[in-house]
Amino acid sequence: MSLLRITRLPSRRLLSSILHHQLLLPSITPLAVPKRAVIQGEYRRPGQPKKDKFPWQNINFSFSKGLEGIKKHFTLLKKEFTDHWVGPEGRPIVEHMLEQNRVVWEFRGPESLEEWTVSSDHEIGGHSEVYLKLGKNDNTCFLYGTLSSTPPRDGETRYSGYCTMRSKQPLASFDRKKHHDWSSFNTLHLRVRGDGRPWMINIVAETYFFHQKDDIYSYFLYTRGGPYWQDVKIPFSKFFLTHRGRIQDDQHPLWLDKVNTIGFTLGDKADGPFQLEIDFIGVCKDYAHTEEFAYEAYKRNPEV
Amino acid sequence: MNPYILMTLLFGLGLGTTITFASSHWLLAWMGLELNTLAIIPLMAQLHHPRAVEATTKYFLTQAAAAATLLFGSITNAWLTGQWEIQQLSHPLPTTMITLALALKIGLAPLHAWLPEVLQGLDLTTGFILSTWQKLAPFALLLQIQPTNSNLLIFLGLASTLIGGWGGLNQTQLRKILAYSSIAHLGWMILVLQFSPQLTLLTLMTYFLMTASAFLIFKINNSTNINTLATSWAKTPALTTLMPLILLSLGGLPPLTGFMPKWLILQELTKQDLAPTATLAALTALLSLYFYLRLSYAMTLTISSNTLTATTPWRFTSTQTTLPVATTTSLSLWLLPLTPAMMAILTI
Repeated sequence: MSLLRITRLPSRRLLSSILHHQLLLPSITPLAVPKRAVIQGEYRRPGQPKKDKFPWQNINFSFSKGLEGIKKHFTLLKKEFTDHWVGPEGRPIVEHMLEQNRVVWEFRGPESLEEWTVSSDHEIGGHSEVYLKLGKNDNTCFLYGTLSSTPPRDGETRYSGYCTMRSKQPLASFDRKKHHDWSSFNTLHLRVRGDGRPWMINIVAETYFFHQKDDIYSYFLYTRGGPYWQDVKIPFSKFFLTHRGRIQDDQHPLWLDKVNTIGFTLGDKADGPFQLEIDFIGVCKDYAHTEEFAYEAYKRNPEV
Repeated sequence: MNPYILMTLLFGLGLGTTITFASSHWLLAWMGLELNTLAIIPLMAQLHHPRAVEATTKYFLTQAAAAATLLFGSITNAWLTGQWEIQQLSHPLPTTMITLALALKIGLAPLHAWLPEVLQGLDLTTGFILSTWQKLAPFALLLQIQPTNSNLLIFLGLASTLIGGWGGLNQTQLRKILAYSSIAHLGWMILVLQFSPQLTLLTLMTYFLMTASAFLIFKINNSTNINTLATSWAKTPALTTLMPLILLSLGGLPPLTGFMPKWLILQELTKQDLAPTATLAALTALLSLYFYLRLSYAMTLTISSNTLTATTPWRFTSTQTTLPVATTTSLSLWLLPLTPAMMAILTI
């Protein structure tokens, strides 16, 4: 036999199957390209989306969308410039002075739903569902879904079961943050129709430090259920400061000149369907309400 | 706040400014500025509200950066010229660096971005100290520097008057309005710094009087936005009548005090063959005048729809001290006829 025949290399098909076998540790499906998550054996947390695309495959480069974006931002910039001549927030000062009630969010068409984000514990692997749609006759917004307090099976989460709806941060041109200035008002006015469940209203004001990014001012919204609408007026002085859901000892009043978002959260540990219908969310000035802050801060170590 | 601590901090504030006034060595001047910054930090944060702490942090960072740049500039000057004398700042590089550092300290455009946010986070008294006392020490240094870069100072001045006017146009928060007014006035002061430092000092003093009366009147009304200020007619009708005059004085209209510095500065600029600069400065002052007028319209010329729970609080005697308001208001309104006397005092 010649040397060439003895040292014959295995066929290409045999070689390639061995190569694939090493990469195919958990799954059987043949992979065209090795994925980092598979090779390195990353644990996918419950609720995280599956990583089956490389990061560069997620890019959608579209020239026309880019042009639209440029046009939109420059239009917003021009509008800001011209509004600056008119008055605060683009309205004459007389309007600002005479304003006593303002409807901030009103659900009268599909574009009003674009300003809101819904989420639930589905993100951490829970089983709640939440949906947002327009109510009858496009007159209200309808937040509904199912609450499930089964915790996700990740070994570290003990409690679960929440659903929330939160307004998006208002943005000026070029995606700069804009804030709601509610300093002429002192009460939040909502018209809701719930199903008897207790909700939490969360207001997020503008913060500066990274540690404050989860600072939320909260208060309760007890819905009465039934087919009747309820008008809820909550003074802003009643909102208390929480951080990551825990009430803080060091309480401060909510400053209304830079409010970012408002949200509604349900987490009442009662599994089952829920619904909340909101007609409008507004702010108003209650002249009879003179309280500045509802919670007293006592000195914890008074000098004697 | 504990009175001992308060006294210590106020003493520190006074000491810092005095040290800077009395110094002829750059290191001592820097030390005075740092002492000022550090003494006012606890006063700013005493409310402990997150926004107050944010304002304090922003103030500290900008002032520390400015002080570091100042130190670097003075060390560079010592390296290049071999001496630390404040009035002997001769090399252009350290002079420019120090001028910019002092501009950041006082809030001149384009280094003004911190001032409205910082003032907004503070209560009115601390904002008042920030707007008036904290400007003295940097100005003491600016007045002593021989400017080698004339264009820089004119640019800083014109940018400040423009940005102070433009930025204040749409504010409804009073502290931000006063911040932008401060920026605009500082612009006027810097414009004439290289030609006649006495005029800068005069403008600074009249600005202090007018701002003091504005802050004190806002403090008496306990108002921080236009809508609350609009209820002052029921609380203090006398002050409501005088406030438009003070605002017009801030805007620089004759025959009020605020006209005096503007007139003298425009005269000086014209004498120095800078008529276009003078025109531009006068035109940008119109922007500031617009928002002062709007404020006086909202406060005095309209009976606001914002009613009060008690209909006539002016019937009750107030326990607030009114002597500072009375003094500063009178001075900020009726000093114009004394212009020759003021000029004579300053040119000694």
